[in-house]
Amino acid sequence: MNKKTLLGLAAAAVLAATFLLAGQAPPKVGLPVLTTSAGQSTDVTTLNIVLDEAGVTYDYCDVPTPEMVADGVGLGGRESGPGFHVESTTDPSKYPAGTPFKAVVFAIGASLKGMGASGLTLDSEEARIKKVLDLCKQKRIFVMAVHIGGESKRGPAGSDNERMIDAVAPYADYLVVTKDSNKDGRFTKLAQSKKIPLAEIEYALGLVEIVKQVFQ
Amino acid sequence: MNFKRLVPLGGTLLLAVLLAGHLSTAAGPSAGDDVIAGEGCTSILVGKLASTDGSVMTTHTCDCGTCDWTWRHVPAADHKPGSTRKVYHISQYQTWPPSEGLKWDLYKKDFTGLEIPEVARTFAYHHGMFGYMNEKQVSIGESTIGCQRKMQNPTPAAKLDLSMLTLLGIERAATAREAIQVMGSLAEKYGYGFHDDGEMLAVADANEAWIFEICPAGPLWTPASGKPGAVWAAQRVPDDHVSVCPNESRIGEIDLTNKDFFMASSNVVSLAVEMGYYDPKSGKPFSFKRAYSPVEGSAASTNGRIQRLWRFFDLVAPSQKFKPETPNMDLPFSVKPDKKISVGDVMAMTRDRSYGTPFDPVQGIRGGPFKNPNYYRATRVIDHGLAEYSTVTQSRAGLPDPIGGIVWIAFGSQDTSCYMPLYAGMTEIPKSFMVGDHWTFSRDSVRWAFDYTDFHVQVAYSEAIKDVQAAQAKYETELIQRIPEIDAQALALYKKKPAKAAEFLTGFSLNNATTVTNAWWKLGDDLLVKYNRLYLYNAEKRGFSRGQPATPDWWKKAVRAFDILMEPDKK
Repeated sequence: MNKKTLLGLAAAAVLAATFLLAGQAPPKVGLPVLTTSAGQSTDVTTLNIVLDEAGVTYDYCDVPTPEMVADGVGLGGRESGPGFHVESTTDPSKYPAGTPFKAVVFAIGASLKGMGASGLTLDSEEARIKKVLDLCKQKRIFVMAVHIGGESKRGPAGSDNERMIDAVAPYADYLVVTKDSNKDGRFTKLAQSKKIPLAEIEYALGLVEIVKQVFQ
Repeated sequence: MNFKRLVPLGGTLLLAVLLAGHLSTAAGPSAGDDVIAGEGCTSILVGKLASTDGSVMTTHTCDCGTCDWTWRHVPAADHKPGSTRKVYHISQYQTWPPSEGLKWDLYKKDFTGLEIPEVARTFAYHHGMFGYMNEKQVSIGESTIGCQRKMQNPTPAAKLDLSMLTLLGIERAATAREAIQVMGSLAEKYGYGFHDDGEMLAVADANEAWIFEICPAGPLWTPASGKPGAVWAAQRVPDDHVSVCPNESRIGEIDLTNKDFFMASSNVVSLAVEMGYYDPKSGKPFSFKRAYSPVEGSAASTNGRIQRLWRFFDLVAPSQKFKPETPNMDLPFSVKPDKKISVGDVMAMTRDRSYGTPFDPVQGIRGGPFKNPNYYRATRVIDHGLAEYSTVTQSRAGLPDPIGGIVWIAFGSQDTSCYMPLYAGMTEIPKSFMVGDHWTFSRDSVRWAFDYTDFHVQVAYSEAIKDVQAAQAKYETELIQRIPEIDAQALALYKKKPAKAAEFLTGFSLNNATTVTNAWWKLGDDLLVKYNRLYLYNAEKRGFSRGQPATPDWWKKAVRAFDILMEPDKK
C-alpha cells in the first residue's frame, strides 16, 4: 500500500469519526475556491498543503481585497510582490480567469510577524477581512473558516488570535476546527448561537477528506 | 525634491563618496537594498584541537531584537520510577509584560497535554532562550536555518518546539552525542515544529562539537502514522577544525557508516524522496542542505545579505583565500584555522562587523561622520546590534565538569557589551540575569545596564566605542587571563569537597557579574557626561572651554557635495 493510499484511509477514518461526532455531513460547494489567511499566520500554508493533498485546486492570496475576490479566478492577473503573495493551482481549462469564486476559505491565526511582513496591523487586518466578508455575503460566496493552530494559538479574550476569530468565525457558512482549538467550547457555542455547521477534527490531516467533500 | 534632482542623486552621492576617497573597488551593497528580515542568530563551533587551550567552544548570538533575554538555573533532580515530564510549547518570540510575570514561569501555562516518561536523574543546567550548559559540560548554541515550506508543521500535532527540545536534551544528556540522540528521538516520536521549523544546534561536550540540524515532517504528520515527526542529521566538526552556522543549513552529504562523524533520523533520505526534494535516480548524492534547506547565492551575489559564512571562513583561514563569489552551498562544512583560536578570539568574532571587506557597513558615508555601523544595516554582519545576549561556551577536558564548563554571556549588542562567565558548577545565577524586558526600563535588569551604555555610544560611535573597548580590556580580557587561577582555586577545593568548589565558583561568578554590571551602569553615565550634546566634556578638568569630537574631512566634503545637489535650480 503506498503512502497516498495509507494517508487517504487514515484521513477517511478520521473524517468518519468526525461526522459521527458532529452528526452532519459537510456541505457541498464546488470549485473554484480562494484560500486566504485571517491574521497571516503560517496556518494558511497548512491549509494549502491540505488542499494539495486532497487534490483540490485553488487560488491563494495572503491579503486579498474585495476587488480581487470579485475579479474571480486569477485575481485579475495580479502578481506577487513585496508583502503580497498569490499562487494558483486552479485548472484554467475548467475555470478560466475571471470565473467567480464559489468559496473563500480563511485559515484563522494571528501572527504579528506575518502581518508585519504584509504591512498590516491587527486593526487593518480586521478591516480588510470585514470588507472581504461583506463582498462574500453580497455575492453569495460560501465562506469556510478553519482554525487548526490549537489551544496554544488561541490566547486569552482580546488576544490577537481571538480578535481574528471574532472577525471571521461568526460570519462563516462552515467552521472546521481542531479539537485542541475548541477545548473551551468557544467554537461550539458560536456555531450553535449562529447556527453554523461545525466539524471538529483531531489533526490537520482530518481536513483533507473534508475539503474533498466540500469542493469536489 | 523634484524629479530632475532625483535623477542625478545617485551620481552625486557617488561623487561624494569619491571625494571622500572611501570607494571600495569590490562590489558593495547598494543603498536601495532592504534590511533583511527573518535572519537571526550566528553560531560558531571550535574543535578541541583548533583552540589554544583545548576547549571545545560553541557560540550563540541570540539575534532577535524583541525577544526575552532572561536566564535561569535549573538544579539537578532525582525522579521516582514512573514519574513523567510535562512538555510545554515555548515560543522563541513570545514575551509578557513584567506586571504579568516572567517568561520562565509563564511558559508553563502552555502545556501541550503531553507528558513523557521521566529519566531517573536530570542534570543541573543554565538556560536562556535555549539550554546552554549543563553540569556535564554539554553545551548548545543555535541558529535558525529554515526549511522547505511544505515541511513546516505549525499544528498542535507537533508537540516539541526547539526551546523545549534543548531543555530536554541538556537535562538528560551527559555527552554531545547523547544530547543529539535524545533530541532527535523525542522529536521523531512526539513531532517537532509548532513554533519552529528548520533549526541548527551546535552541540558540544569536552571532546566533540557537532552540528545538529532538524526540520519538521510537514503539517499532515500525526503520531498515529508511525512515521518520524521530524527529520534530522548531525555532523561532527573535526577536532582541528572550526565551523559556523549563519542561518544556513551546513550539512551536505552524509555518510552514516562513519558513526563517529554522522548521525541521522531513519527517514533522512526517504522523506526527501517522498516530498520530491531528492531524486535518487538523479545520479547525485543526497545532500541534507540541498534537499531540506537550500540557500541560493553567495556573499557577493546578494550584496552581503548572506556574507557571514564567507566572512567567517575568511577570518579564520585567510590563507585559503575563500571568495565572496563562491555560492554559499559550495563553501566547506568546516575548515582548519590558520592559527589556533582562543576564547578571546571567539568573542571578537561574535563582535565582527566585516570592517575592511567589500561589505563594510561604514564604508563611504554609510556610517556617518562617526562611523556608526548601526546606520546602514543592509549588509548582514555577525554583530548586527540585534542580540538579546550572546554566549560563548567552553567545555574543557582535564578539569572536573563543574569547573571545566563555562558559558560566557554578553547582554545586548556584542560590540558594547562585556562577556561574563558562568561556570557549569554554579548553583545559582545573578538575580539581575533573571528579570527585565524590552519595553520597561529597569535598573534591576543586567541587560538594561548594557543597553544604557550602548545607547550613549551611538552619539559619537567612533569615539565612544574606544571608551567601551577600554572597559572590555579591563573587565573581560583581564578576566580571561585570570581564569586559570580561578580554575586552580576551584580545583583545590573540589579535591577536598566538590560542594565547596561549587560554592566558590558561584560566589566568584556572582561577584564578577555584579562588578561588571555596576561598571557598565557607570560607563553609561560617563559617556552621557563626556559626549553630552555632542561636545567633549572633560570631567576631570571641568574647564569652561570644551571641544567637539573631530569631524573627518571626508564627511565635510560629502556635506558640500550634498549641498550642491540640493541647491535651487537656476532659472
